[in-house]
Amino acid sequence: MSPRRLVALALLLLPLVAGAAPKKLVLLFTGDNGGEIAPCG
Amino acid sequence: MPVLALDAGNALFKSLADGQDPTAKLRAGLLLEQMGAQGYTAMAVGQRDLVLGVDFLKKKTKGAKLSLVSANLVDAKGQRLFPASVVTTAGELKVGIIGVSPASPDPKGGDSAAFLPPGVQGQPVQPAVAAEVKRLRTTEKVDVVVLLAAVPYAEAVKLAQGAEGVDFVVQSHDGRGVGMAQRQGVSTLIPPGERGRQVAKLEVSVEGTGPFSDQSEANRALESQRMVEANITRVKERLKTEKDEATRRSLQETLTSFEARRDALGRTAATSAPAKEGRTFLLSYVQLGADVASDKAVQQQVERVEPPGSAGH
Repeated sequence: MSPRRLVALALLLLPLVAGAAPKKLVLLFTGDNGGEIAPCG
Repeated sequence: MPVLALDAGNALFKSLADGQDPTAKLRAGLLLEQMGAQGYTAMAVGQRDLVLGVDFLKKKTKGAKLSLVSANLVDAKGQRLFPASVVTTAGELKVGIIGVSPASPDPKGGDSAAFLPPGVQGQPVQPAVAAEVKRLRTTEKVDVVVLLAAVPYAEAVKLAQGAEGVDFVVQSHDGRGVGMAQRQGVSTLIPPGERGRQVAKLEVSVEGTGPFSDQSEANRALESQRMVEANITRVKERLKTEKDEATRRSLQETLTSFEARRDALGRTAATSAPAKEGRTFLLSYVQLGADVASDKAVQQQVERVEPPGSAGH
């Protein structure tokens, strides 16, 4: 395979390789705060 | 890593009678302002958020990035009072966030105990959620659906068991505090904590489709497996030197029991471990105790509403 075709193949495969990693996210939740604004309230 | 902050509702007032407290309005206003300033994406409208009415909420969040969401709160004409959901992109993931509020008491009788302001009706919870999930999945093509359920716990369990397409149900209403993530049928129920004492942190990893698995189940099973393995080694060591036949029989029985336990834990770890194309989550809590420093600017605003030494402190 010519170097040019090899580079083209690598470029084509790159998104697939990059997409193989899991997508990560952190969700922060609060709830039932009940009007608290101070730590000892 | 991208982060989304969400509130399951019932954030603003201590009780339904809180409207009589002269500082309640100031506290609720400060909370909404700070949730917006701190980058919250959405909050469900709970029963205890409606103490000063819908107009107060709308006025305080006008122009803010924080979206108040409720799929089932409508006015007297049946018009929705808040958006049913908000869709946001975090990193590479498109996330749909639905809010739901308590249903109005059924005139034919029922178990709803919601107290909503005059002119505000809570439509039945499950059909409202199902319709919005369908829209998010088919039209918006979201990767993850979070339901902020400001409804009684029993209602949230029913939602988690039956709301096809919802990944996580985060419940507020009863002040249940912290807990473990519970798989309930098709979704996972997440306790968000209470009274600003902690933040629930859900680390999500998405690859492919299918239900989410709890990473902590696999971790717990592996940890237990390591402990059982250590016991197996100790029993084997004793067997090497033990001469008494009765003791040897007892040790052999113990060994067989430990090996069966180890194998069972291995199976648990394997089934709950993330598949290569799986979707996993890990729930933990960040406690907001005295060791977490206060933001000075926010503290000043808090002290304007609740001076140190006042009844609120």
